[in-house]
Amino acid sequence: MSDSAPAIAVHNRRKLYGDKAAVDGVDLVVPRGCFFGFLGPNGAGKSTTIRMLTGLIPPTSGTIELLGMPLPDRELEIKQRIGLVPDESLLFDRLTGAEFLEFVGRMYGLARSVAGERAQSLLDLFELREKRKLIAEYSKGMRKRLAMAASLIHHPDLFLMDEPFEGVDAVGARLMKDILLDQVRRGATIFLTSHVLEVVERLCDRVAIIDKGKIVREGSMDELRGGTESLEDVFVRVVGAGREFHELEWLK
Amino acid sequence: MIRAILRAQWLSMRISRMASGRRGAVFSAIVAVLWYGFWTFLAVIAEALTAAPELRAQIETWLPAGLLGVFAYWQLAPLASATMGASLDLRKLLAYPVPRRSLFLVEILLRITTCAELLLLLAGAGVGLLRNPAFGGRLSLARVPLAMVLFAAFNLMLAAGLRNLIERLLSRKGIREAVALLLMLVGVLPRLLIVTGVGGRRLEHALPTVANPVWPWAAAAHFMFGLPAGSPPVAAAAVLAGWTVAAYLFGRWQFTRSLRYDLQEAQATVVSAKDRPFAERLYRLPALVLPDPVSAMVEKELRSLVRTPRFRLVFVMGFSFGLVVWLPMMLRGRVTHSAVSGNFLAVVSLYALFLLAQVTYGNAFGFDRSAAQLYFSAPVAISRALAAKNIAAAIFIFLEIAAVAAACTLLRLGISAGKIGEAFLVTAIAALYLLAIGNLSSVNYPRPMTAQRVSGGGGAGRAQGVLFLLYPVALLPVFLAYLARYAFDNQIVFYAILAFAAALGVAIYWMAMESAVSAAHNRRETILAELSRGEGPMVAE
Repeated sequence: MSDSAPAIAVHNRRKLYGDKAAVDGVDLVVPRGCFFGFLGPNGAGKSTTIRMLTGLIPPTSGTIELLGMPLPDRELEIKQRIGLVPDESLLFDRLTGAEFLEFVGRMYGLARSVAGERAQSLLDLFELREKRKLIAEYSKGMRKRLAMAASLIHHPDLFLMDEPFEGVDAVGARLMKDILLDQVRRGATIFLTSHVLEVVERLCDRVAIIDKGKIVREGSMDELRGGTESLEDVFVRVVGAGREFHELEWLK
Repeated sequence: MIRAILRAQWLSMRISRMASGRRGAVFSAIVAVLWYGFWTFLAVIAEALTAAPELRAQIETWLPAGLLGVFAYWQLAPLASATMGASLDLRKLLAYPVPRRSLFLVEILLRITTCAELLLLLAGAGVGLLRNPAFGGRLSLARVPLAMVLFAAFNLMLAAGLRNLIERLLSRKGIREAVALLLMLVGVLPRLLIVTGVGGRRLEHALPTVANPVWPWAAAAHFMFGLPAGSPPVAAAAVLAGWTVAAYLFGRWQFTRSLRYDLQEAQATVVSAKDRPFAERLYRLPALVLPDPVSAMVEKELRSLVRTPRFRLVFVMGFSFGLVVWLPMMLRGRVTHSAVSGNFLAVVSLYALFLLAQVTYGNAFGFDRSAAQLYFSAPVAISRALAAKNIAAAIFIFLEIAAVAAACTLLRLGISAGKIGEAFLVTAIAALYLLAIGNLSSVNYPRPMTAQRVSGGGGAGRAQGVLFLLYPVALLPVFLAYLARYAFDNQIVFYAILAFAAALGVAIYWMAMESAVSAAHNRRETILAELSRGEGPMVAE
């Protein structure tokens, strides 16, 4: 394992569902300490890519190295150093927030007392203080905040986040952004997908845009914008060009 | 409108079938063929009996009682199996401008999924009566089908009403378990009365009461027979129609109440975890003997399952319903010295073990739903997750046996300490085999289950089908031990076979675990997709 190796190195990664390629020959390198935005329209292959990076789905072909270690050969070591916020909920509804965080901490090898202490700190930090409340009663935003707290509890080196701000209110989103930026300053790498391009524009150093399973644009934020355009303009131009707007007669 | 709902449901099921693959479809087909084959066989027998002109007197005497049996099975079988069939998911449909009468009609039609086998049986009996010249032959062509249709409609609508009523009652903590217990006792009471002799002595006296045409089953029979002889059976037809209208009004009333019922509000007050120092200490017990992360996962299972209404209901059923179901056989066996009487606690414990399958080891990731991906994304081998779930299941199995033993003691059934120990031992050995099967079914046939729905989820899925078919096989070693004790009247032989069965069970458990881990690794994408799957506008329970 080399600390100079990129946080994520994906080579010619493919994922086929039948004869349809959800991810089609993706090559991607994310340097360490980078805040990386992974963009794409719905169904472009973002979530599939993240799920492959976390080992949740096996690829059809290609190679992945995370933090200098190959997947799936060193799967458990890699997982030990990853913090995951998936698009779907990975929360156990019949636990309280504190119980869930302590559980996750112990899954990542923390002693129970340490996991318990960190759980309390994270609950306070994310303002999830209703300690008797079961996760089943959480709102969508609270669930996202808890998922984010869970991704932090073992102090990972690499965060994989699928739409982490979805459903989170402005205050919660601000808090989450501050925490993520702080993690990057401390050397962590963040790989996130989001449909909120303003957020990506404000947070990320580098961006890749995926469309129909292929990376269609990649570079630093300045390289992509070219000095005059916004990220939204670039995004729409890259993935939305040629799409005509048809007015529906019956809707007039 | 109805077509749109049914089409959406069909599409949802099609997607589910595609996800489960050809193997799953074949297995489902085999289970369906076996089940409905059995009922078709019964229907053929019913047809042969009711078609015999020389049996006219017996048919007139026993058909009302038979239809009472159909009625009882139709209304109570869903409770006994804790699977309430398919129903509309009102939370999804209420947002749309669908007329309530249309929704009610679909709900009624869905009741067919619970007891389609009874329609087969009724059809068999009906065809027999049509062919029987003693009941008018061709003259009965209009009468018999109409009576059957009315009787089936009566049952369907009553079942729909009861289902809605029970669902609402069972969604409230506190009365949930009590109501479930009460309903089950009601279901078992007739059998208990007959077997204990209390009812047996009065059976002959009860038969005319049961056959009184004021009851829907008897009215249906009289209508089919064309009784009273020599005049049109107007009275019987009117009584049956009246019961059907009453069932319609009841079903519609309960359905409307369920439409207005706020499930979330009812459950919002009940799900909060409370500070219970004693319970908290119990949850922490596994950490005393097990290392993390296994201990963390066992603890999580204990907490989650105890707070899951569906699990609690099945757990209560294990030592209450199980006890009552087998009690008549035990009481009868005291006279005949039957195997059930001598090994009552072991029999009830093994029954409880079977019941627990659907909410614990048979579909281990069912309640986790999409959260199960944590087991695949965390740095933990999947074998440990399965082992933790098995340990948690074993804890609940042993608590269940303890509860059964306590109930037996309270009822003064004369269960000795030796028999209690034997029940624990035998159940533990059987559990080894069932946990092995459960691990394989959990990764090969995962099904999402809904914790809030007391009768919902994967209980009716293939996982339970696998267990249902393999349960006798899993009990075979234990059964052989009992058989040997009976044949040789020797305790040493009994325990020697149990020891062998235990050793074999450990080996099988080990091999099954390796196979399950391999399947979990290869099928993780399918497993997570299955567990994350939502349902269509209906829920299959």
